[in-house]
Amino acid sequence: MRTLKILLTSALVKGLVGQAVGWALGYSFVALLRALRGLPTPWLYEPAVAFGAIISLLGFLVAAGVLADWLRWIVGKKTELKHGAPAGQPGWARYINVDTNHKVIGVQYAITSILLLLVGGYFAIVFRIELAQPGMQWLTNDEFNTLFSAHGIVMIAGILLGVGAMVNYLVPLMIGAPDMAFPRLNAFSYWVTIPSAVIILMGMAVGGWDTGWVGYATLSLKAPLGVVLFLLGFWMNGFSSIASSLNMLVTVTTMRAKGMTLFRMPIVVWGSIAASIIQLTATQTVGVALTLTVAERVLGLNFFDPVGGGDPILYQHLFWFYSHPVVYVFVLPGLGVIAELLPVFARKPLFGYRWVALSSLGIALVGFLVWAHHMFTSGMDDALRVPFMFSTMLVAVPTGVKFFSWVATMWEGKLPKNPPTPLLFVFGAISIFLIGGVTGPILGTIPTDLHLHDSYWIVGHFHATMFGGYIFPFFAALYYWYPKVTGRMYKESLGKLHFWLMLPAFWVMSIGQMSVGLLGMRRRVADYDPALGITTTHILITLAALVIGWSVLIMIYNFIASARTEPAADTNPWGSRSPEWQIPSPIPEFNYVTPIEVVGEPYDYGLAGSVYTRTIAPAPSGD
Amino acid sequence: MGRFRHFINIIILVILSTVALRLLFDVILALPMAASAEARPIDHLFNGHFWMISFLFSLIMVMMIYSIFVFRRADGDETDGPHIHGNSKLEITWTVIPLMVVLGFGVWGAFTLNEITRPKDGEMTVNVTGRQWSWSFKYPEQGDAAAAELVLPVNRTIVLKMNAEDVIHSFWVPEFRVKQDLVPGRETTLRITPTEIGNYRLRCAEICGQNHTTMEADVKVVSAEDFQAWIEQKSAGPSFADMTPEERGAYWASTEGFACVACHTTDGTPSAGPTWQGLYMHNVKLADGSTTEANDEYLHNSIIDPNLQIVDGFLPNVMPGNFGDRFAEREQEVGAAEGIDLDISADLIAYIKSLQ
Amino acid sequence: MSTITAKTSHDDVHAPEIPYATQLRSNRLGLWLFLFSELFLFGALFTTRFVLWGNTRPPLSQEIGLLATVILLFSSFFMYRSETAIAYGDQPKFLNNALLAALMGAIFFVMVVVMEWNVFRLSGELFGIELFGHLKPGDGVYGGVFYAMTGMHALHVLSGIVFILIIWWNGRRGAFTPERHWGVEAIAIYWHYVDVVWVFFYPALYLMGKVV
Ligand code: HEA
Ligand code: HEA
Ligand code: CUA
Ligand SMILES: [Cu+2]
Repeated sequence: MRTLKILLTSALVKGLVGQAVGWALGYSFVALLRALRGLPTPWLYEPAVAFGAIISLLGFLVAAGVLADWLRWIVGKKTELKHGAPAGQPGWARYINVDTNHKVIGVQYAITSILLLLVGGYFAIVFRIELAQPGMQWLTNDEFNTLFSAHGIVMIAGILLGVGAMVNYLVPLMIGAPDMAFPRLNAFSYWVTIPSAVIILMGMAVGGWDTGWVGYATLSLKAPLGVVLFLLGFWMNGFSSIASSLNMLVTVTTMRAKGMTLFRMPIVVWGSIAASIIQLTATQTVGVALTLTVAERVLGLNFFDPVGGGDPILYQHLFWFYSHPVVYVFVLPGLGVIAELLPVFARKPLFGYRWVALSSLGIALVGFLVWAHHMFTSGMDDALRVPFMFSTMLVAVPTGVKFFSWVATMWEGKLPKNPPTPLLFVFGAISIFLIGGVTGPILGTIPTDLHLHDSYWIVGHFHATMFGGYIFPFFAALYYWYPKVTGRMYKESLGKLHFWLMLPAFWVMSIGQMSVGLLGMRRRVADYDPALGITTTHILITLAALVIGWSVLIMIYNFIASARTEPAADTNPWGSRSPEWQIPSPIPEFNYVTPIEVVGEPYDYGLAGSVYTRTIAPAPSGD
Repeated sequence: MGRFRHFINIIILVILSTVALRLLFDVILALPMAASAEARPIDHLFNGHFWMISFLFSLIMVMMIYSIFVFRRADGDETDGPHIHGNSKLEITWTVIPLMVVLGFGVWGAFTLNEITRPKDGEMTVNVTGRQWSWSFKYPEQGDAAAAELVLPVNRTIVLKMNAEDVIHSFWVPEFRVKQDLVPGRETTLRITPTEIGNYRLRCAEICGQNHTTMEADVKVVSAEDFQAWIEQKSAGPSFADMTPEERGAYWASTEGFACVACHTTDGTPSAGPTWQGLYMHNVKLADGSTTEANDEYLHNSIIDPNLQIVDGFLPNVMPGNFGDRFAEREQEVGAAEGIDLDISADLIAYIKSLQ
Repeated sequence: MSTITAKTSHDDVHAPEIPYATQLRSNRLGLWLFLFSELFLFGALFTTRFVLWGNTRPPLSQEIGLLATVILLFSSFFMYRSETAIAYGDQPKFLNNALLAALMGAIFFVMVVVMEWNVFRLSGELFGIELFGHLKPGDGVYGGVFYAMTGMHALHVLSGIVFILIIWWNGRRGAFTPERHWGVEAIAIYWHYVDVVWVFFYPALYLMGKVV
């Protein structure tokens, strides 16, 4: 009863109600304007639905109380940061209410991300079952198209939230800060993602859409109503990305502990910086692409439809200027996690720290120069295609530096005989990201891409890069920091079971996808010709997808069950040097009760007597 | 000395693994048969990449697995690993060598691209049009013969000049290796030189809406003589005067005619548009809730002005609204050639009538 | 679900005090990063204009365009005076100049929306100059790009006006001092930035290329 009351009065529920009210208001506003001009408004009238969606974001934020402090500032009131659960409520109530603590927000991001992963994964399983056999079994073309489009965008939103989880939770801890530089903005960034996800999923309910996650013009101008909600939801998610990356960059610049110079930061922070630079800038251009598409559809402006003089290729340039670099947003924090964990378990310094740190920036910067490699078949001039081919090939170089440095870190290292789950996931991540990475340059050389473009080879390539660069490192991070977050150890046996189910299943799925792609399987089709000789492989891919799904459910069970039943974990079970492991788990509200100071190198494992951080007495207050 | 032994082991293992992987590629990651002159240089490049993939994957994996098993912590050992910070010479090596390699692949790619895109002697042009969700082909050098299948003479470079009417589509025949998008509002070109006589399938590779999956067409590569014979038969065209209205209607509905079948089935299953089977004189429920009878007038209106009445469960703006003009054009053409007075819409209605 | 932080009660933990200087540094950096991010927004629109219009432009009223630009530049000047005034503690001058800046911004906004866009479908002349624009949003890419660029910019002007009014309202009640007036500084920088964007948009819309 009490629990129900806490739930119903939470910011989450209030926000969702506010969103519904906002939507209704926005819809009726447009209907009213039309009524004043004597026009009827048909049910699900597109401009009304779109305007309602925009107002619904505001409705959510206002009702959830995300904007409360800022609104008070406007009328000149000072506000204190609130801490802890609402008065008289248990600790877990913090997580469904607006909270400005970066650790709470990190956990909120992580849970939301996993939920989206489940929803998106569920879509994948539904359409994979359709693809297990040639012929149409249980979906129509429209349903299939909606499912894979939603799968793509929901998964990508899930990744962005997962990156948000890692960055939010880890970065302030690792640089010795009490919180992010702008805690309210941090909460705002998180809470925008909920209405944005709701809007995207609503798009499936109002007719779905069939453009894939890329939403190419001119198809997006003709697609069913759902595409508008997809575009708006995507846009809002980007808005949140910009705000959170700005916050992260400021935090790293101004909130570092004493002595925490740039090249003494734990390596995850470097990955986060590089990812944030991309998010801060490139997201704006996809925002423009999405805005212009909505404007063209709803307001009748013309940009992309050649009938009015527009250019459909322009959309692709604006879209990929973001959507290529963003793939490095997905992976850079994850690659940072790999580089963070290897030295801990190999008990050896991270090989070539500076090179690894700078390679993240290198990947991010070169990543800005390659976007048109997604458009090799679009009819661009050769004078453009060839430079983009060369720049694409260049990304392999800084990525290679990371791989070689990881291997050199493991070389002669003392890896444990029975690797714990996080380390297993790191090994898995390296192998998978490697196959994902080396299947990239073959797409970068134009002649081979002419065969592979829009085939399942691409599907195999990017599932491998995203699983290797994001999913596996994210899972490694979840297992690794689980004792820090909850104060309890997860169940090792279930963790191992998860890994040993997921790794082989993933390999079958990804290699299977590449294999059918080479043989002529197109992307985004609901059916295929049995004459291609790919039916058996498709069955295997679907079976593998089911195994992956089950293994993820095992992980979730493990985390929920262990939080209740396992005994308290050690403060520093992995023997890490990183500052967050030197303080109690769970971590105090403001991280370092006594401030810390950096006096050594972060990864000096194997150097007797070296210290990385130590606490300093609080400075005597001046007044 | 110990280090040296490890390196020898690694080198042997990497070589073995590379070769094994490359052989495995031919089994699980094989390309379909090559049926064009362009496929040859492209497959060489594929081969190069496959070797590189095998090598790089082996290199990193062998070193990782070797470290996991050979250097791992012995029982009871509590010490840390050696304190090695890095090595700038090594770092530079593994920056510069991959840089050379990828640039090399870039140059290889550029040469191959030039080889497959440059104009060749004796080219023949074919116009390709893609629309939701059908293909059509025209042979401007053969008196504008039109077809719904792509028939090509073997060993002659074909320049495909491609246009899309509505959204982006993409031309892909896996056996030819090359692919090119069709973009509304601009013409794109693709060169292919078929080298193997046989039947292939053209499939649209860019998502183009509801029936993207079924946007396919037959491709036939034939000998030069067979091509000539086919063209002559095509140019003769069907003699409309000798056909019944139903027969003509079936022809107009086919992909040879106006490709109605891309969206309307004749077997009762719904597609992008309502099925035609059992449609004539039956009641139709409209999106606005009313019901109407599918009589001649309703069918005519639905063909010429499709957005006027939308059937319940279907979307507006899917069917092009320009069939009236396209029919008129065709009626004139055929009228001039055969001296008969056609009414394509009436033919179609007659055909629909026959589908009970 | 267990808790993240060891102690979550309200009174015994306090956020470590962040010195004003540090907070100010964070704020400044945050603002500049935001403006840097917006650069890509305006840059993308700018690119769109060059891709779709190339070396042409639609017929637009040169007089309105020039006048609006001049007014916007003047408003930036008053905003500058306002900020300097508060830095020297001259409260009345700060308030009056801020209000003037907002007023001129509002005139600019009205010129774009009422005159150039002609949302009220008016017509009229003054000194032989047509007061209201003819380009409609639906006029192909010319309408599209023009409305997108002016619209996105007008949105920024509008939000700037709202922010200026907020600091004016709070300033009247003495919220800012010569030492602590980050709010004024922030809106001043934002206002200048929006102005500079227009300095690039104006020639791209009104001056470059041949009239079609
Ligand atoms: C996390 C995501 C991620 C990552 C990291 C990458 C990494 C790379 N990607 Fe991928 N890519 C995607 C996600 C990703 N990609 C997605 C989602 C799509 C499809 C989008 C869509 O259409 O829906 C896509 C599509 C895509 C295309 C377009 C294909 C097409 O549609 O026709 C291309 C073309 O060049 C490409 C290339 C590359 C390259 C060169 C890299 C490089 O960064 C890889 C570099 C890594 C290595 C090369 C391995 C390690 C290096 C060494 C061991 C050193 C030595 C190496 C050499 C000498 C080569 N990718
Ligand atoms: C992080 C990104 C990510 C992840 C993790 C995945 C995961 C999976 N993907 Fe995804 N995929 C994309 C990103 C991702 N995908 C993108 C961007 C596209 C391109 C879309 C486009 O073309 O536009 C794509 C496209 C894509 C295709 C091509 C579709 C097409 O072109 O027609 C296929 C086909 O096999 C596929 C399969 C799978 C499978 C089987 C999984 C599996 O790993 C999923 C495993 C399952 C789970 C993790 C869920 C487990 C949970 C349950 C079973 C219970 C759930 C219950 C409830 C929710 C109540 N994906
Ligand atoms: Cu046409 Cu897909
Ligand atoms: Cu890319």
